[in-house]
Amino acid sequence: MDPAEFTEEEQGRYDRQIRLWGIEAQQRMRNATILVVKLKGTATETIKNIVLAGIGKLILVDADDVEEVDLGAGFFFCDDDVGKKRVDAAKARIENLNPLVTVEIIPNFDVLDNQNFESTVNGVDLVCITDWDRDDLIRLNNICRRSRKPFYAGGTYGLLGYIFCDLLDHKYISPDRSSPKDAQKNVQVTASYSPLQDALRHQWSALSKRQTKELRPASVFAILSLWQFQSARNRLPLGTQDIDELQQTADALVSGADVNKQVLTTVPRSLIESVAMTAPHEFSPVCAIVGGLLAQDILKTLAAREPPIANFLTFDGNTGGASVCRLSMP
Amino acid sequence: MSTAAGRTKHAEAILGPELHTRLSLTKVLVVGAGGIGCELLKTLVLTGFTQITLLDLDTIDLSNLNRQFLFRTKDVKKPKSITAARAASSFNPNVKIDPIFGNIKAEEYDIDWFKGFGVVLNALDNLDARRHVNRMCMAAGVPLVESGTAGYLGQVQPLVKDATECFDCIPKPTPKSFPVCTIRSTPSQPIHCIVWSKSYLMGQLFGRDEDAGETSELDEAENNGENVEEIANLRKEAQSFSRVRAAIRSYSPNSTSTADQNNDPAKLAFQKIFSADIQNLLNMGDMWKHREPPVPLDYDQIISGTFILDKQGSSKAKEERNRINGASSLNGTGNKKTAEKVVMKDQRKLTLKENLMLFNTSVQSLSMRLSTSQVQTIEFDKDDEDTLDFVTAASNLRSAAYGIEGKSKWEVKEMAGNIIPAIATTNAIIAGLIVLQALNLLRASPSARPSPSEPVNATTATPSSSSTVASSASADYSLLRNVHIQLKPSVPLSSVTCSSPNPNCGVCRDVYTLVRCDRTQTTLRDVVQGVLGWTSGQSQNREGAIENGQSQNGNRNENENGSNDDDDEVNDGSERKEISVYEDKRILVDPDWDDNLDRTLDSLNVGRGKFISIVDEEGDWETVQVVIGELPASHPSTASPYILPCPLPKLVKRKKIKPLVPSVPSTPPPRLSLKRSLPTDADDGDVMIIDGHNGNGRTRDGDGEGQRALKKPRLGAYDSQRDAKTTTPTMDVTSPSKRKRLEEDGLVLMDGPGEVDEFEEDVIVIDDD
Repeated sequence: MDPAEFTEEEQGRYDRQIRLWGIEAQQRMRNATILVVKLKGTATETIKNIVLAGIGKLILVDADDVEEVDLGAGFFFCDDDVGKKRVDAAKARIENLNPLVTVEIIPNFDVLDNQNFESTVNGVDLVCITDWDRDDLIRLNNICRRSRKPFYAGGTYGLLGYIFCDLLDHKYISPDRSSPKDAQKNVQVTASYSPLQDALRHQWSALSKRQTKELRPASVFAILSLWQFQSARNRLPLGTQDIDELQQTADALVSGADVNKQVLTTVPRSLIESVAMTAPHEFSPVCAIVGGLLAQDILKTLAAREPPIANFLTFDGNTGGASVCRLSMP
Repeated sequence: MSTAAGRTKHAEAILGPELHTRLSLTKVLVVGAGGIGCELLKTLVLTGFTQITLLDLDTIDLSNLNRQFLFRTKDVKKPKSITAARAASSFNPNVKIDPIFGNIKAEEYDIDWFKGFGVVLNALDNLDARRHVNRMCMAAGVPLVESGTAGYLGQVQPLVKDATECFDCIPKPTPKSFPVCTIRSTPSQPIHCIVWSKSYLMGQLFGRDEDAGETSELDEAENNGENVEEIANLRKEAQSFSRVRAAIRSYSPNSTSTADQNNDPAKLAFQKIFSADIQNLLNMGDMWKHREPPVPLDYDQIISGTFILDKQGSSKAKEERNRINGASSLNGTGNKKTAEKVVMKDQRKLTLKENLMLFNTSVQSLSMRLSTSQVQTIEFDKDDEDTLDFVTAASNLRSAAYGIEGKSKWEVKEMAGNIIPAIATTNAIIAGLIVLQALNLLRASPSARPSPSEPVNATTATPSSSSTVASSASADYSLLRNVHIQLKPSVPLSSVTCSSPNPNCGVCRDVYTLVRCDRTQTTLRDVVQGVLGWTSGQSQNREGAIENGQSQNGNRNENENGSNDDDDEVNDGSERKEISVYEDKRILVDPDWDDNLDRTLDSLNVGRGKFISIVDEEGDWETVQVVIGELPASHPSTASPYILPCPLPKLVKRKKIKPLVPSVPSTPPPRLSLKRSLPTDADDGDVMIIDGHNGNGRTRDGDGEGQRALKKPRLGAYDSQRDAKTTTPTMDVTSPSKRKRLEEDGLVLMDGPGEVDEFEEDVIVIDDD
C-alpha cells in the first residue's frame, strides 16, 4: 500500500479523527500491528476503539470459552456463542467494525510461554495485556522490554480499574498549549519509563502532602493490594471473609511505600470492603471508561503525539475520577 | 424470552440486588444516537437497563463510522435511531429499545411525555437541543444527565431541579459572529470569505428569490428620501444578480449557440462578483484610505494564464500570492520539496486558475440541479460536494482578490461546516461516566419506585412522577459528580461535587405548572388568572369583571384544596400584582396592554407544549411557567375547556439579588471555570452575520397578529441582566469547610505564590476562562 495514498473510503471514514490527530498519526496507526491478550470486558472495549480508529492489524490471544457471565460486558458475544472459543466467536464481529483492519486470532495461551512470547512480540509494534495477574505481567513486561516493544497492561476489578504502561524511551511530539492557538508550536519530548517490577518499588517519600493527595493514593493502593493478595493466595478476594486480609495487605503496602502519613496511613475500610466484594466482577461502564482510556493511550503512543500515561493510572467508579502516578519515573 | 441467566451476575454483584432490579423498572430516554449515543446505548444495555427510548433526527453518514460503532457502511443514509436500536438489541435479547426517528423539539414530546421517564440522558451535539431538553426536564421534574465531547475532551453533568444547578445556570458562550461590513465589503481573514460565500453568495445565486423583497425595500428607501445614487447602485447590483440567477435556472450544458455561451452562469457570476462588484467597491474611495484595496479578478486573463496578482505586502503575503498565481511554491502541484510527507487530495491548496475552474464546474453542477430537477433552492451542506466545491472556490477567489491566504477544500469543509473532531475513545469514556451518574441518581432515592400499574408504553403514560428519581423527598444527591476529561497528565478524569442551582437562573428557578386545555376555547385570561388563583374576586381586576364565568365555575371545582400557606408563598388570591405574560420571547400582555387576555390561545398561536411565562413586574416572585397541555381523551366535552393544576403552583419569592461579595459565604458556590468550559459543538459554532438593519428584532413568528414588538428582553434563560450578575466571579475559599470540600474534590489550594513551583504546569487555575 502506498503510504502516501489514503483511499476515498479511508478519507471519509477517518475524516473526524484525522482532523484531530493529523494524517501522519493516522498513517502510523494504519501501519501498526497490536497484540492484545485476553478477551474480557476491558479488551472488548479497547479493541473496539483501536479497530475503529484504523490500526493495521490486531492479533488477539485467548484460550478460553465464552461463559454466560461474559455476556455482561462482552458485546462481541451473543447467547449462542456460550461454549465457543472467545476469539472464534468475536473474530467476525471485530472485523465487521472496520473492514480495513486485519484480525488474526490465536486460540491458546502457549504463545505466552517465554520462548514463544519473545518471537510473537518481535512481530508486533505494541503489546497490550488485559485482566491479567501481576506476577505474570512482570514477566511479560520484561520480555517486551528485551525486544524493545511498548507494553500496556489494563484491567478492571468491579468499580476500580487501572492502566500501566512501559513505553521504554518514548519520543513524542507535544503541542505546547501554553502558547496562543494560532502560533502553537510543537515540542519534541523523550520520556523514560520503568518496567513494572521497578515501578512496584516506588517510594512516595518525595511527594508533598498536596501532591500525594491529588493522586488519590487510596485507589492506587487498593489495586496494588489486590495484586499482592492474588499473588499470595493465587486468587482474587471472594467476599467478606477476605476483607481483613486485604486491609492488612493494603496498609502494609502504604507504609512500605512511605506515603505521606498526613494523607494516608490506611486504605479506607469502605473501599476495601467494596473491593473485596466485587473484585472478580466486571462492569460494562467501568470497562468502557478504562478501555477508552487504554485505547486512547495506545493510539497516542502509536502516533507519537501527545504525552501518554506515565505510568500508572487508576480509575475509581465510585467517583468517576482517574489519576496517574509516576511510579519510579523521573 | 429466556436467555443466559449468568448475563447479569456481575452487574448484580456490583450494584446489589435492590438497585439492579430497579434498572429494569426505570424508563430511560436517550436523546441522540450519534457518537455518545451509540456508546451509551451499548453500555446501558449491558449494565441492565431494559426500557430504553432512543430518539434521533439524523441519518447515518460515512464520516460517522470511525466512532459510531453500531453502524456499518451498508447503513449509510438510514435513520440512526432505528439502526442503533436494532444493533444494540442484539447485545441483550431481554432489552426493549424503542427508537424514534424524530426531533426532540417536536410538540408531541411534551411535558407529559418527559414525565414518563425515570431519567433522561443527553447525547447531543448542539446547544439548542441541550437547552430544550434541560428546560423540559426542569419543567417535568425529571433528572437529566448532560454530556458533551470535543476531540479528546468531554464532560458529564447530572442535573436535578432544585438539587443541582441546571444546564442554563451557567451562561454558555455565544456563537461567534462577524459584522456585516466585514463580510460584505472588507474581509481580512479566510473565515470572512468563507462565511460570505456560504451564507451570502450561496443564497444570492442558489437560494430563494429575494430580489422581490429587496426591490420593494429599495422602493421604500427611495420614498423615504434616502441617498438616491446609492439606491440606484444597489438596484443595479440586485439586477445583475437576477441576470445570473436567470442564467443559472435556464442552464443547459449541451447548448453550443453563442447566445447560450454568453449566458454561461459561471462566467456571468464570476464577472459580476469578482470583477464588477469589486470595481464598484473600489469607487468608494474613503473605504480604502486606511486599508489595502481589493483587486478585481479578470476571468479571461486567469484562463489564459496572463493574470498576475502583484500587490505589495509582507513576504508571507507575497509567498501566498506566488502560490495562488500558480508559480512554484509550498504545497503546489507536484511540488514536494517541503516536509509535507503525507497529503490527502483535498488538503492541497489550489492555484487561482484551479479555483476558477472549480468555481466553473461547481456553478455548472449546481445550475444543472436547479434547471433540470424539482429543486427550487440549494443550501450549503458540507457533505454536498458541489456546494462544498462552490464555497471553496468562491471563498478562495475572494481571498485572492483581497490578498488573504487561501484555504484547502479540507480546511474549508471544517470551517464552513463547523466540524468538531470526534473519536470513539472519548465517546466511550463519556458514555461510561453517564451511566455511572445515572446509577448515582437511582441510588440517590432508594424509595422511589415505579408504580406497577404504570403503562409500559411511555408515550401513553399519564402524568405522574412516581417513577421519577427526583420525586423522593429524602433523596441524597451527595454521590453525584460532574466529571471532566482533561489534559492534565496527573488527573485525566476530574470528578467534582455538583454545585447548587444558581439563584438567578432563568430556567431552573422558575416555577413550572401544567394547564391542560382546548386551545380554541380557552383564553389567555383563563390560564393566567386561573393559575395565579385570581379567579375569586372580580372587582380587583383592572379591566373589570371577568367574562367567562362559566368556565370559572367549572374549574373552581377541580381546584379545591388548592390553597397553600407556606412562608415562601405569596399566592394569596387577594393580592394582584402587575404582571407581564410572554410566550417564548413574544410579549402577550404587559401591565399597560392586556388586549390579548380575552383571546384564545389558539388565536394567539400558542400551541401544544408551549410555555406561557407569567412575570411579576416588581420582581418579587419567581416567574411562573405554564405549560400548555392537551386535554385527556376522557375529558367530557361539556366540562370546562381547561383543567387547572391542582394544587395551584406555589408562587416562590425571588431571592433578592445582592451584589456578590467574597465575604458572603456560599452564594453562589465556587465555580471552577476551568472545568466548566463547554465543548463546542457542530451547531454552536455556527457563524452568523449580524445584520445591522434588524437589530435583535424578534419579528413575527406564527400569525403575528396581536403581538407587540419586544420592548426589552426581560425573560428567558438568557436574560442579559441576570446573566451579567451571575457571571461575577466569586471565589471564597477563606472558610475552612469550603476549603476542605475543594480539597476533597481534588483541587489543590495554594496558600501563596511560593508554593507554585513544586506543581510546575499542573496548577489548576480558578476562573481563568
